[in-house]
This record gives sequence, C-alpha cells and structure tokens, in this order.
Amino acid sequence: MKYDYDVIVIGGGVVGSAIARELTRYRLKIGVLEKESDVCTQTSGRNTGMLHAGFLYKTGSLKAQCAVEGNAEFDQVAKELDVPFKRTGKLIVGFTPEHRERLERFMERGKANGVPGLEIIDRARMDEIDPSAGGNFAMYCPTSGILDPFQYTIALAENAVKNGAVYHLNTEVTGAQALEGGAHLLHTNKGDFTSRWVVNSAGLNSAKVSEMLGIPGYVIAPIKGEYFVLDKKAGAFAKIPVYPAPNPNNTFDTHATPTVDGNVLVGPDSLEVDDFTDYSATQASMDGLIESGSRMFKHMKREYFIRNFAGIRPKLIDPVTREIQDFKLELRPEVPGVINLVGIESPGVTSALPLARRAAALLAGQEKLEPNPSFDPIRKGIVKFSEQDRETQAKLIAQDPNYGEIVCRCETVTRAEILQAIHNPLGVCTVNGIKYRTRASMGRCQGGYCETRITAMIREELNKKPEQVELGFKGSWMFTGFMKGGAAK
Amino acid sequence: MKRTFTCVLCPNGCDIEAELENGQVLGVEGNLCPKGKEYVTQEVVDPRRTIATSVPIEGGEIPLVSVRVTQPIPKGRIFDVMKAINQVRLQAPVHIGQVILPNVLGLESDVIITKEVKSVQGQ
Amino acid sequence: MRTERQAVIVGGGPAGLAAAIQLYQQGVKDLLILEREHFLGGILRQCIHDGFGLTRFGETLSGPEYAHRFIQQVEDLGIEFITDCTVLDISHDRVVTAVSKAHGMIQVKAGAVILSMGCRERTRGALSIPGTRPSGVYNAGVAQSYINLQNIMVGKEVVILGSGDIGMIMARRLTLEGAHVQGVFEVQPYPSGLPRNIEQCLNDYNIPLHLSHTVVDIKGRERLEGVTVAQCDEQLKPIPGTEEYYPCDTLILSVGLIPENELSLAAGVELDPRTKGAYVDEYYQTNVEGVFAAGNVLHVHDLVDFVSLEAEALGNAAAEYLKVGTLPPCPLEVKAGQEVGHVIPQRVSGTRDFTLSLRVRHPLRDCAVVVRQNGKELLRKKMRKALPAEMIQMKLLGEKLSSTGDLEVCVE
Repeated sequence: MKYDYDVIVIGGGVVGSAIARELTRYRLKIGVLEKESDVCTQTSGRNTGMLHAGFLYKTGSLKAQCAVEGNAEFDQVAKELDVPFKRTGKLIVGFTPEHRERLERFMERGKANGVPGLEIIDRARMDEIDPSAGGNFAMYCPTSGILDPFQYTIALAENAVKNGAVYHLNTEVTGAQALEGGAHLLHTNKGDFTSRWVVNSAGLNSAKVSEMLGIPGYVIAPIKGEYFVLDKKAGAFAKIPVYPAPNPNNTFDTHATPTVDGNVLVGPDSLEVDDFTDYSATQASMDGLIESGSRMFKHMKREYFIRNFAGIRPKLIDPVTREIQDFKLELRPEVPGVINLVGIESPGVTSALPLARRAAALLAGQEKLEPNPSFDPIRKGIVKFSEQDRETQAKLIAQDPNYGEIVCRCETVTRAEILQAIHNPLGVCTVNGIKYRTRASMGRCQGGYCETRITAMIREELNKKPEQVELGFKGSWMFTGFMKGGAAK
Repeated sequence: MKRTFTCVLCPNGCDIEAELENGQVLGVEGNLCPKGKEYVTQEVVDPRRTIATSVPIEGGEIPLVSVRVTQPIPKGRIFDVMKAINQVRLQAPVHIGQVILPNVLGLESDVIITKEVKSVQGQ
Repeated sequence: MRTERQAVIVGGGPAGLAAAIQLYQQGVKDLLILEREHFLGGILRQCIHDGFGLTRFGETLSGPEYAHRFIQQVEDLGIEFITDCTVLDISHDRVVTAVSKAHGMIQVKAGAVILSMGCRERTRGALSIPGTRPSGVYNAGVAQSYINLQNIMVGKEVVILGSGDIGMIMARRLTLEGAHVQGVFEVQPYPSGLPRNIEQCLNDYNIPLHLSHTVVDIKGRERLEGVTVAQCDEQLKPIPGTEEYYPCDTLILSVGLIPENELSLAAGVELDPRTKGAYVDEYYQTNVEGVFAAGNVLHVHDLVDFVSLEAEALGNAAAEYLKVGTLPPCPLEVKAGQEVGHVIPQRVSGTRDFTLSLRVRHPLRDCAVVVRQNGKELLRKKMRKALPAEMIQMKLLGEKLSSTGDLEVCVE
C-alpha cells in the first residue's frame, strides 16, 4: 500500500518542528499537521524565551537530560538556523535564609545534572552583574540564555520545509484509525491523510491525540501564566534574566527577563485553568504581576507597559497524586507506528532538538533509516535592517531599495523584510505571522503606524480581498470588505 | 421655556442657554459671539449640519477622495445626501473645490472635492 | 544630496509645513523637509471632516484642504522636501540620518533641527485592558486611516472606549458609513473631547456617551465578540456588580495621544513628564541647542490652527537663531500651579512677549487663569468655562515681565 507520508507529525510547535527537521536528515517523506494558522501560536510562542540550563529538574529525568544537552549545543544551533540568541546567564535571587537553602539545594542538583559554572553570589557581585535585579543574594548560572521562541520555531519549520517536509496549516486531526503494520489513517478538517508513522507532539492536546492513537490515560493540567511586555526603554535596565528562588513545588514564580530584542518580559504567574484555549489577560493576574514583578525588577512601571499575553503550559500530572511528571516520550510495542510525546512543557524550547533526536532514535530502532544526502542544516533568516550598522544598511538599500522604506517605525522594519515575511516558506499569511517573522508592530505603538501598511501589502502581494485578511487565528477577520466601489485598489 | 444648546459653529462650543416661546428665540446667554444666536435660531426651526465622506476614484494615486458639503444641510436629510454621494464614481485627476454634486438634492449645498488627486499613468 | 542644510524639518505635517514656510519667509531658504509618508500633510490627510481653519484662515475647511494650503505654499516657494523618507536618528550635534527608497541612506548636518513628528495613539497594551486578543480592536486613528484612506470597513457593531475627539469623530464616520455605534464609554467623569463634537458627532446620531465607565473585559478568540463595561468610582476603578455586556465586533480606542519623541530622545532632548514632549523656552528651543519643537510632538493640541500658529512662531525663532547664531538665555521657569496640567513654554527670558499655552486638570466654571511673577499678578483671564479638552492660550507682554523671578500659572 502507498501512503501519503512516511511520517506525520501532529503539531507544528517547537518540538514538532524540531522532530520534522530532525527526520529530514533521513530519506523519509514528512508531513506536519498543524491545526493553527502558524507554527508558534500556542505554547511554543507563549513563554519566556529562555534557554534553560537544567538545574531545576530531577537528576536523570528526561527534562534534565534534554535541557542540559539542548543548552550546550545552542550556540551551534542558533548559528545553523540564523536565529537570535544571547547567552546572558541568569540570576536566581533570594531574600531569606530559606531561599538560600533552596538555592544551595538546586546548585547541588544542577551540578549532578551536569550544569557547569553554578555559584552562589552576594549582593556586591549581583550589582556588578545587574544592579536592577532585586534580592539579597543569588545563584548565578552562566549558561542560561535568551532566544526568540517565534523565530526559533519558525526557523526549525522552515529548515524542515527546505529539506522536504510538508506543512499543512489550519489542519486539525479529528480522528485516527490504525491500519496494517503500524500505519495510520488520520481524519482532519482538510481531509484524510495516511502515514506509516505518526508522531504525537500536539502539546496542549497531546493527551487527547494520544488517546486517539490508542494510548489513553494521560492527564494534562493546563497551567496558565500571564506576562507583561515592557518597552525597550525598560529593557535598557535589564541585562540578565532575574528569577526568584524556586517555590517549594520546584517551579519559578514571576520573573523578569530581557528579550533578545531588548524588551523585558515580566511573568508568568501560574494558575490552573480548565480551558486549554483561554489566553485572556485578567485584572487579578495583572495586579499580581505588577506586585510580584516589582520585587524582581526595579523598573516595573506603568509607562513601560506595551502589551500583555498569556501562555498555557501543558503539565502532565499523575491522575491520583496530581504530581507533575517528567516529559513522556515513548514507543509502545502494543501500539506500533506511534511515537508519543506527552506533557512537553518548560523546558520544552530548550529540549526540542534533544527530544527530536530521541524520537528519531526510537524510529531508527524499528527500521533502518537511510541518510538524506541533500539534507542542509543551514537556514537563512530575513536580514534585519535594524540590526545592521549604517554602512551595511546603505548597502542593503543599494541592493534592494525596499530596504529604504521603513514600514514599522518603532522596530525599524523595512518593506523588504515585510515582503520576505509575506512570502515565507510556510505560506503563513496572517498579520501576526508577519509580526513574528519581522517584529513589525511589536513595538510601543503596537501597529498604530504599520498595521494599515502591512494589511495593504498582504492584500497586494497575495491578491486578497479585505475580508480575507486575518489577524492570527483562523476566522480572525479584520475587515468586512471595501466600503464603496469594491473594485478600488 | 429654557433650553440649552451647544453651538457647533466653532471649536469654542459655547453652552448657550436660550429662552424660547412658540419656536421663537426670545434671548440667549452664554455665547461668546453673535453667531451663537444665529445658531440657536436656526437650530430651533431647522437644525442643519455639514457632513464629510469620501468617494472611490479610478486611475488615481489613491483609491478614495474626500468630499464635503459646502453649506450645512438639514439634519434629517443627512443619510439621503450620503446615499446620493455614495452613487458617485470619479476618475482622476480631481482638484480641491471641484463640484461633484451641485445643489445636492435641491438643498442649496454643493458636494465638493477636498483633496487633490493626480492621475497615475498607465491606468 | 547636499550634506549640509540651514534647517532640517522632521515631519511634513501641519507643524513642519508651517515652520518651513515661516523659515523661508524669514530668509532661511536652505531647507529640507523629511516626511515618512508618501504625501505631505500628516494626519490631516485622513481627517476628512470639516472644522479646521477658523482661527488660521477665518473659514472652515476639511483636514486635506487645510493641509493643501500649506503644501501649495511649500511647492510654490520651492522648499525642498523628500517623502517616503523615515528619519532613523538625530545626533546631539544635529546630524539627521534618514532612509528612503529613492535616496538611500541620507545624512544631513543641520544648522537647526525642527522636531515636528506629531503624536501617536495610546494603545490597549498601555492601558492593560484585560481580556482576549481577537481581531476587531482598533485605535481610532487606525480605523480612520482604513476608512478614509484605504476604502476599507473595519466592522459593523461598534463600541468606542474613550471620548477623545478622534473617537467621537469616528463614531460619526462609522455611522455615516453604515455601522452601528452602540455607545462611547469614558472612564473620566467628564468628556475628553470638545463639546461641539459631543453635539454633532454623538447627540446628532443618538449615540450615547457614558461617563465614568470603562471596558473591563474583551471577549472573543478569533474576531471580537463583545466587551464588558463597568461603571467606575472616583478613583476610576471599576465598581463590581455594575458590569454590563455589549455584543459587538469592533472596539475603537480613543484613549489619548502621546507625543512621538523617540528621535528627540536620541538627540538628547529632555522631556517634560506632563506633556511627554520637550521642555522648550519661548523660542521653542529644547535643551539641545539648535533643536526646536512645535505642534503635537511638543504637546497634544486640540486644534490644528494652534499647531500652525505655534510652528510659525517657532519658524521666526529658529530663523533668528540661524541668523544671530544664538538666542537670548531663558532662565525663568514657568511653573504649572493649581489646576494647571501643563504649560508651554516651560522657560522664558522675561524680556519679551510670548504665547502661553496650557490645559486645566479638571472641568471648571467661572474661573480665571492667573499668571504671577514675584508675587505680582501679571495677567488674569476670566473664563466662563475651562475644559481639559481645550487648550488655553494667552499672550504675555514683555513689558509686564521682570527679568528675574519664576512665573507661576494657576487657575482660580
């Protein structure tokens, strides 16, 4: 029998895209089914953008192994994929003797996990590293870093596509049927797909998909966290991520993290919710973040607020004790053809490639994989005008005059970049898709200047009617149509 | 009978208190200039307003050109005038002051262009 | 492209155009206007309603017509301008760096830099309005641009938050174009726009204005489905139990304007936290020598006529600076006293006439604006009403001023 794909990956988040990219190293036909309009609209795009070091997780756990491994290789990965990354280090600060005790415990755990360079430092050292950090003492972790989770996920997906993977956006799996020899028939809103292998990396929906594929029983608790995004004017004060000492549940409360672009993220808080899709900001959380964020970051001021967002971490829990579990990555003999990843949350971004290699290894244990001779790990991103020196900027404009037209003034994004983003390899055509790829409208005016230009460019470049332009999610129409005349440009 | 008006003739937006009787304005108070009384007198019998909107234009460097009425029109006829303007289609070039609907609906007000639009060659 | 100019004007909206023309007429003819849009005229191009020009021209015009009068003059005088050109940086020593498709990277050393970048709208993020992030939440100016420039309709069932003038004007525009505006909600107990706009944009179309109300929740995952509105107490905090849900597909925000001063900051210009614009003296010169500011980049105006007049005064002063090489010192501070939100200028010489602009903090009736120096009353202007929505201007005569002692402006 002939199948549509050798492997179908369900979920095009950071882990799904890393798996797709990893599998394109072999002669396999890869399809990715993503139910949203882009690859990083859920958990992968809604987090702090932290490259974790791996001191927080139980020694020997998959979380610890993958975080340490993913952290160590990331300079190389960032280079291959042309994504922004800064190895800033991180301060985990404490105020009380109890905090110090906990930090010391985590330092020991970190050392056992293989995290290099951990040390406890006093206030004077903290002031040398970042005077804007709160706290009386800190554990300093030099290997932690910051990245742009949008760019990273997009880069993995684009590199997968470059090496032959096919992305199906707005394609939601609604049912699965096991065929002979481990193959599967997947029902989706866009028709049926067949594949010899299925990888479940459905993130928030991983338990649901797991059950569809014949592995029931997993329980995911959606833990919502809200964030504030602060202006780059506040970013001038933040040099390094500042986290509070982990709480007794071994998770972090509100922290303040500079982003690779120079903003500051304050958050997340942590609230168990029922709804896996509820990304609303709430007054209670905002008030809480202002209070707790001010302890971590001395410049948490209203004048710097430019946006709020929320993310949901799919925590795999023990159904009885409700204790948070390790990442689940499995290939069960009784359910052939299914590689199952459940409960991938923080440190999922850091762990994406290590998990992908482990998933590929499970597959390789079942059949001989032929290397793909044309695999190219290099992906080139959009050249960012704002990141170049004046001389290079002038050269860019000389090569392509569209680099001389600023579309987003807050982030200094040019027409050339927007055009490249509109014609991205994944075929994403939403306003938010352009934003994640270029930063246009991420600045302090939040699209007040550039949104009208970007929607006009989407219409012109992709020959869309006004009513076909969408903000982000499928169905997020922006306009009812032309006002008068209809035919007007 | 006393009634309060907000004069819309200029940005001062005077709050005018008027003494009215049988549709007659007996006296006004609160206006900074004589136009206030004129406004109230008109407002009592036949309130009038100006409107501005836009008209699609072909062959121009922009897709829409702005227009307005030259004289206030009866408030009750605003949507009728909108309907009349919405029928209009223009061809570039157009110039400021160009009349597109003279004496619109017989209301003694013209609809004029308020933006210069050059034509684009090749269209 | 020549790399030196007597003056570079950053922004070809009403302020920049008026300043350029005035400079030219004062004999400063080596000018360059840099405008980021494709056309000159700034925000006026999308303000197609009438009501502009009564003070400046003695007749009422639409925004594009008002702008055209200045554009025509700039063209007639042959003042050089580049459109589609965005300024990236202004250095402390007045080197202006800009880019355009046609000219590439431009660097010009200016004798004087005129800051006339205007303002931008405050956003949902700055207000931290809770709720989801669907499409259909628009700033008033953005919706105005879609409707008046792009021929694109943003929605059908509309709620407006904020009673700024643009919000009210958009309420009327949307209604005229067939949308249904359910109401305008204002967190303050008084409107933030002009009374005439309440009358002719809201009352005329039976659009209710709800004072002391704000949006406390936004609902919808894809497109906006509705907003929850609550009444607010005197501290502007929502009162629990007063929430009401309004189904709608569009929320228009008209919640304030912020002078656009990122370039000013790059040049080393100090900003007044009250105006969010530069500290200027009576010559409209900032703390950085040779850098001047006027219009909405300096402080948000209610009427464009005042923007033009202010920029023309700037033009005279900048011309004097360029001819003489320096301007007299302005050591006296003008302080915003009781009930005064801010004043422009913040520093004066005490030796010559100047125009004082201010806004009151709260709506007041039967009050007087009083200017004092060294305990002496210099000026008292009686007012039947004073509204935060309106800018108050008055002329102070040099002969009445002392060259020592700060000035204080109060409303009593």
